[in-house]
Amino acid sequence: MNSINQSRSECTPFIWPIGGGKGGTGKSFLTINIGILLARQGYKTLLIDADLGTPNLHTIIGLPNPKTSLSDFVNKTVSTLEETVLEMPVHNLFLISGARNKLDIANFAHEQKMKMLRAISRLHYDYILLDLGAGTAFNTIDFFTLSDSGIFVCIPEPTSIENIYRLIRSVYIRKIRQVLQINCFRNLAGQAEAQNRDAVIQHPEYLLTTLKQIDPEQGGNIEKILQAFQFKLVVNQVRKRDNPRTGTLICKIIEKHLGMRIQFIGNVGFDDRVHETVCMKSPYILKYAHSQTALDLHGVLQGITGGTNRQTAALAASTSI
Amino acid sequence: MKTLEKLNYYELLEIAPHASPLEVHQAYKEMYDLYHDDSLASYSFFPPEERREILAMLDEAYSTLMNVKTRAGYDRSLVENGTLKTDVKDRPDMNRTVDAKSPADQSALSIRDNVKSVVSSHPGIQEILARETISGAELKSIRDELGIPLEEVAKTTKVRMLYLEAIENDEFEKIPAGIFLKGFLKAYGQCMGLDADTVASRYLKRMKD
Repeated sequence: MNSINQSRSECTPFIWPIGGGKGGTGKSFLTINIGILLARQGYKTLLIDADLGTPNLHTIIGLPNPKTSLSDFVNKTVSTLEETVLEMPVHNLFLISGARNKLDIANFAHEQKMKMLRAISRLHYDYILLDLGAGTAFNTIDFFTLSDSGIFVCIPEPTSIENIYRLIRSVYIRKIRQVLQINCFRNLAGQAEAQNRDAVIQHPEYLLTTLKQIDPEQGGNIEKILQAFQFKLVVNQVRKRDNPRTGTLICKIIEKHLGMRIQFIGNVGFDDRVHETVCMKSPYILKYAHSQTALDLHGVLQGITGGTNRQTAALAASTSI
Repeated sequence: MKTLEKLNYYELLEIAPHASPLEVHQAYKEMYDLYHDDSLASYSFFPPEERREILAMLDEAYSTLMNVKTRAGYDRSLVENGTLKTDVKDRPDMNRTVDAKSPADQSALSIRDNVKSVVSSHPGIQEILARETISGAELKSIRDELGIPLEEVAKTTKVRMLYLEAIENDEFEKIPAGIFLKGFLKAYGQCMGLDADTVASRYLKRMKD
């Protein structure tokens, strides 16, 4: 199995930023448990605690005092990001912790951030899951530039949904700006932003509309690039009385009004015992592997890996060589 | 991505131009779930005035498509501007049934009220209702025109399928007589947006004759 993984890991990793806008929606819960499931399927998986200011992925996984962390790389205590990687008790699972980050790390300089993002994209893993912080600060949103994918987690409450829309709009506009950085779009970007300043702040969808009005061909190209992103939505802590279709409806709103494709990959049922496992500093999926919530997490995993077992595909490929 | 204002009513409700009244109703219900003031799924997404505009567009589309006359007029305008091909609308497929477990019964908007508007503007149905007596077969043809499955009638009226089928097939010997039959007929008529007393008296008159 190792040789298969090594060969897979030589390829570009699948990087999945996991964001939720609001605190307490289950970003870390999802990161850990999906990470474990991926590792168990044979994927070499790295979890990065990208909640720079208030990290606690290490605590949930039961590693209270990690020896190294992301800040060792940012502060140049170590020369490569690989040196900060910790092995986890679960085979194939690795962690870059944020435990020893300095308190002001969330405000670090632009070059440091770019250096870190470049280093992450060069790591050799099958999957890299980035557990992002709450809020819509640049340092959170910028992690979405690493990849064409992203997972949004919300809970079925108005506060969470309000924040998830803010986050998705922020990511959307960051993505448009990223595309517009490409030289041929740069002039167009300036014109569009000058014409419709409101759009940049509250309603990024109008920015694309303005771009298309100024230059239909290039506007159309940008729209196509945006549609190629693979965003996923998970609704967490769903109770029996909640409408199970909320996730589907949210995705419909985003597709219809932002023109951005986002796939609903499942409800994860509320379970009181999640609290208990956090207190015990032990991952939920290891303790309650057969609960309904665990089954829901398997469903989410399928939504992330595309429902196909790439391990089998990789195995078939390696045996045919 | 077309903005909502540029969509025609069918595109707005995401239905085919030959959708039955029940499908129009269900599509409207789905969109209403998405955009109404207390919708959790779209909470905070739209400023209040934009939400109001969207809801007004949906209401306009719904009321136009639920009325046979206004729908025909709207379709003609779509054909004239080239949006709709004439052959698509030659015969609206009113007979298609829909999922009997429709969310309609949970809705604040009663399906009965909406079906009523189809009934009042449908020439075929009006012709049947103008007759002195009504047969079971005629009731069935009205139900087919409205696209309401018999299961839906049974669910709404709580009358057993066995009796409803007997009413539609004019199998009088299978139906309990007297007050029960009258009650069943009234419930059936009401469920389809018809005048309950008219349906009951004209069916019973034909039965006695």
